[in-house]
Amino acid sequence: MRRLDRIFEQSSRSLAQRTSRRSFVAVLGQVLTGSLLLPLLPIDRVNRAAAAGLEPDAAPPPPAHRSPATAARQAASDDPQSCDYWRYCAIDGFLCSCCGGSSHSCPPGTSMSAVAWIGTCHNPGDGRDYIVTYNDCCGKTSCGNCGCNRNERERPLYRLLRNNDNNWCVANADSNYHCTVSVILGLAEKDQ
Amino acid sequence: MSRWRWSVTALLLVSASTLASPTQDYVLNCMGCHGATADGVPGKVPPLAHTLVQFMRSPAGRSYVLRVPGASNSMLSDAQLAAVLNWIAGNFGRDQLPESAPPFSVQEVAATRRMPMVSLRTTRGEVLKELAASGSAPPEDY
Repeated sequence: MRRLDRIFEQSSRSLAQRTSRRSFVAVLGQVLTGSLLLPLLPIDRVNRAAAAGLEPDAAPPPPAHRSPATAARQAASDDPQSCDYWRYCAIDGFLCSCCGGSSHSCPPGTSMSAVAWIGTCHNPGDGRDYIVTYNDCCGKTSCGNCGCNRNERERPLYRLLRNNDNNWCVANADSNYHCTVSVILGLAEKDQ
Repeated sequence: MSRWRWSVTALLLVSASTLASPTQDYVLNCMGCHGATADGVPGKVPPLAHTLVQFMRSPAGRSYVLRVPGASNSMLSDAQLAAVLNWIAGNFGRDQLPESAPPFSVQEVAATRRMPMVSLRTTRGEVLKELAASGSAPPEDY
């Protein structure tokens, strides 16, 4: 044991004589800085992104092969109370799923708008496009929970039927806006 | 929405996986306001069912439906607009369409839809009067 102590003592003293703490800190700093800068280098990551299911045409990888970040994004895109839910790709308003209703049904005491904006959303889960109708729920004052504003394929106000800033309760007897639902109508053709 | 309307909507959309283009164009560009059964909303949105075919009887009526804002300002191309109007006529009131009324052609749509309509209400009134003089006509108020 004493011999082992002596070996370690000699090697430590030898190291201390040959190097300084300052140089050690300098080397450590270089290593840390280098490792931080490495991901910024212009490396082609297309294959990795495709493997992670981030490319539009890539098939989603099996759950076991998903990175934690991809899995978190996927979970958010499947959560009806998250603005990232894939069905909400062009929604602008309060999510009815946070207001006593669901992603596709109005809360009690409100009625679905008679007119709506209909568009399409891409489901990353199965890689398909779905026809979605955004209906407002009318008859109560604004819910105020889970405000969400996403504008995929939204058009300016002069394209009235493709603009999500409208109050779609306008054709209802009670035009008070409460929240918005997203109802899946069916699969979309590919050319949309 | 009543149960039968939901049934019609469901029927319309069950076939969504094999939607022909005019059907999908109707769903994406017209159905939001005119509804799954093209009945419109009383007092707010005019119906297309059983009324478009009546407008198709006269040149003035055809010109009117091609220049209303929903048609003239839609994002559909001339060919798509012609196809979706013919689809509506064929699915909602075909029995009321006289044989003398031809379907809309791309040329007719292209030549008409960009002509401005100064007063929609006045034009509609004039067209309805003319239609009423020669047969059935949609009501003035909807």
